[in-house]
Amino acid sequence: MSAGWLAEIPLRPLVVDGLVERVVLAPGDRPLVAVGDAVVPGTALVARLRDAHVEEVDVRAPDGETLIAGSAFTAVMPHRGRGEAHIEGELLAPVPNRVRRWRLVAGEHRVEVDAVAGGTVASVQPGAEIRVALEGRAIRAAFGAGQAARGRLRVVTDAMGELRPGGIDVDQSGSILVAGSRIDAEALTRARAMGIRGIIVASLAGKELRDFQASERRQRAALHPADPFAVLVLDGAVRRPLSSPVTALLAALEGVEVAILLDPPALVFNVPELPVPVVPEDWVRVRGGRHAGAEGRVLGLSGVRRFAAGVHLEAARVVFGEDEAVDVPLGDLERLG
Amino acid sequence: MSTTQPAFLTIDRGTATAAAGLIGHVGGRWRLLGAAAAPADIADEALAERLRRRLAAVDPGAADDFGLGAAGAAVDLVRLTCTTSAPPELAVVAATDRALQPLVNVAAAAGWRVRAAVVDGGDILGIVALLADRRLDGILAGVSDPASGDERGLLAELGTLVTAAAERRPDLLVVLAGGLSGPGAKTGTLLRAERPGPTVIAPAADADDGKPLRALLDELRGGSREGRRALAVAAGTLATVLHRRIEILEIGQASATRIAAGWQPGMAPDIQSAVVADAALLPRGFGEEELDAVLGWLTTPADRLRVRDRLRDLALAPWSDGAGEGALLRMAAGRAALARLRDETDAFDDLAPPDLVIAAGGCWQSAPAPAVALAMADVMRRPGVRALALDQARILAPLGTISDDRERATILADLRDDLLVPLGSVVLPGGLRGGGVAGSLGIAAPGGAVEIDLLAGGLELVDLAPGETAVLELRFREAVDLGAHARHFAVEVVGGLAGLIVDLRGVPLRLPDRAEPRRELLAGWQSVLWEDAGR
Repeated sequence: MSAGWLAEIPLRPLVVDGLVERVVLAPGDRPLVAVGDAVVPGTALVARLRDAHVEEVDVRAPDGETLIAGSAFTAVMPHRGRGEAHIEGELLAPVPNRVRRWRLVAGEHRVEVDAVAGGTVASVQPGAEIRVALEGRAIRAAFGAGQAARGRLRVVTDAMGELRPGGIDVDQSGSILVAGSRIDAEALTRARAMGIRGIIVASLAGKELRDFQASERRQRAALHPADPFAVLVLDGAVRRPLSSPVTALLAALEGVEVAILLDPPALVFNVPELPVPVVPEDWVRVRGGRHAGAEGRVLGLSGVRRFAAGVHLEAARVVFGEDEAVDVPLGDLERLG
Repeated sequence: MSTTQPAFLTIDRGTATAAAGLIGHVGGRWRLLGAAAAPADIADEALAERLRRRLAAVDPGAADDFGLGAAGAAVDLVRLTCTTSAPPELAVVAATDRALQPLVNVAAAAGWRVRAAVVDGGDILGIVALLADRRLDGILAGVSDPASGDERGLLAELGTLVTAAAERRPDLLVVLAGGLSGPGAKTGTLLRAERPGPTVIAPAADADDGKPLRALLDELRGGSREGRRALAVAAGTLATVLHRRIEILEIGQASATRIAAGWQPGMAPDIQSAVVADAALLPRGFGEEELDAVLGWLTTPADRLRVRDRLRDLALAPWSDGAGEGALLRMAAGRAALARLRDETDAFDDLAPPDLVIAAGGCWQSAPAPAVALAMADVMRRPGVRALALDQARILAPLGTISDDRERATILADLRDDLLVPLGSVVLPGGLRGGGVAGSLGIAAPGGAVEIDLLAGGLELVDLAPGETAVLELRFREAVDLGAHARHFAVEVVGGLAGLIVDLRGVPLRLPDRAEPRRELLAGWQSVLWEDAGR
């Protein structure tokens, strides 16, 4: 086989190294880590402010320091005519035309957000984001929803399977479940209620995603929200099975502690000794179009071919199983490796 | 590009797809030897090798002459590369609503994705959160110059908020427009040399219709190798070379461009361009309104939820699903995007009408040429007569990166017959009344004279092959608008893959509100030009 022409078929890495996680900070969220800190799963990254409000306070910088927006600051204010109250917050912006008067974002209720994967803090920008350079490897996904979560991975369906609400059990609590080709919002909300930490699935329809996100918003607004729960969608919105190399890798991760990230969407695992499945060079999967989800072997490039609706596209000759070889648009194919 | 180099490559690297052209010096002039496209993550070398392999297969002698006989030889060719990337994000903040809108309009037309906030009555926490957002690439803050009465009292507040945002994000680009760099705005710290991010002083949004500010923001968005800027440069040169007024309508995955380039003897070309992120094939804020627009152009019955899912997958893998239903969906999304581009750039309709309209961008690349011609006619409803063409090889933008005007003009002049796929011509009269016979069309063509009755409300197609020209004699029963108001016209048209389209469907195009009759009507028109649609 000539490897040269294979470069014309899009290649998606099965696993990636050196992923950088981004944790979004809103003004008032307090970073609990600094650049260079090592984090492990469970390290508190940020104390999120749940009831942010703005106060105008008098500020005086400690000797030799200049106050800038984004700095943590504790203001001392008179309290109901007696004594003093200390208000902890973050400097937003000076009040115009007033000397040493700033706006401070503060609040009473904070929720700590923990790291779900280990790594090193690469940057902290108050009010913007924290970046963590992660250890281990990751499977990149199309998109995700919910909150970053961690749990023990369990494969509960085959690649083409669908996880129904009735198939979710309380003994799976604390796990991240591999749910096959698709799942609906009802099953997702039941999984969250059962203490499942996450779902990995090949596809999630837009309607199910929106229903789940609405449910998630209600859940997060509650006084005592549930544990973090994430859904990670590997391929897209239209139904298709998990690819066989990804299925094999997930099977190898059965029982291993893994993390679902949402920014970027990925499944992270830190098992250096885990062998990554070797994908044959001529293995291809159909990403979209008529044969979406099918896997086969590519025999060679066909050149420009005519397809349905009179469209002319660059194509490759592909054989699916025992069937005769067919021409498939190059843009519909992907390799994994 | 020196003729000592017998061949070179053009690379147009977009957000969804990449296109390569192989250009060689043949018989004393530059010719297009081949063109190819692929998903954006395919390397230039793979595309170059595909072109080399094809040339070697069809003309081994020519391949040897160009030094391209052996595998891998194309890697060493000189490359003209341009790149388009996802539009950067700009927070636009002003003191008042009145001051905000011109800033937003200018920034949006300069290719930035815009998020806006107003200080007057605004939620301070919300404004700070917007200005600190990690996705932002820059802030445009502005007031009139000098600041108007209602802005003056808010000047210090605006300046303070922008300064605070730059303290949180020191790397951020900050553009201070109008009177915001004056002492009253307290933005002095933004101008200090030690700040890592650039601070740019800019003219007000209302100065000279916003043109200087738009030019500045366009420059800040990308350099000379940015694909859409290069396309505008190439458009100006092409207008000069062809002695025609041209318009380019480019629809890409992440943004869209409308360019008008005029020509006058002895003068530099007059180029106007607008890059509009919201007119992308699938803009980032794609919602119900955009989905309705796509559904409104679909010719096949489709479940709303399923169409939404397919569009979501199209956004994830824009090079995929390009045949069959996927092609129809892409063309519907393309029409909807083109309509957004038209609506966002309506000032272009005040310019002189173009002689030649060029469809460009990855959106149209794989569609049959006549289908692209119909999409142009469906959406761009300005009355008149114009030629249509398709930048299928996508070599225009890379050629726009040639910095020497004369060299660029020489190469474009050599390539004038290879650059574009001729789609044909469209005749679009405005002001047609009622149904029935509106007039007649006589054609004096090389193949013989033809006489056709013109039925108002329909499309008339006349075969006119690429390279052919014909003189039309149009006689209407009542005066119509064809650039000028009259009953009788004689115009010269050029042929193309779609031939001559006489579009008598009226201006604007009126479609039924109900889905079923609308689909039938659209499918009927489409079947005339795209006979394989739906198969």
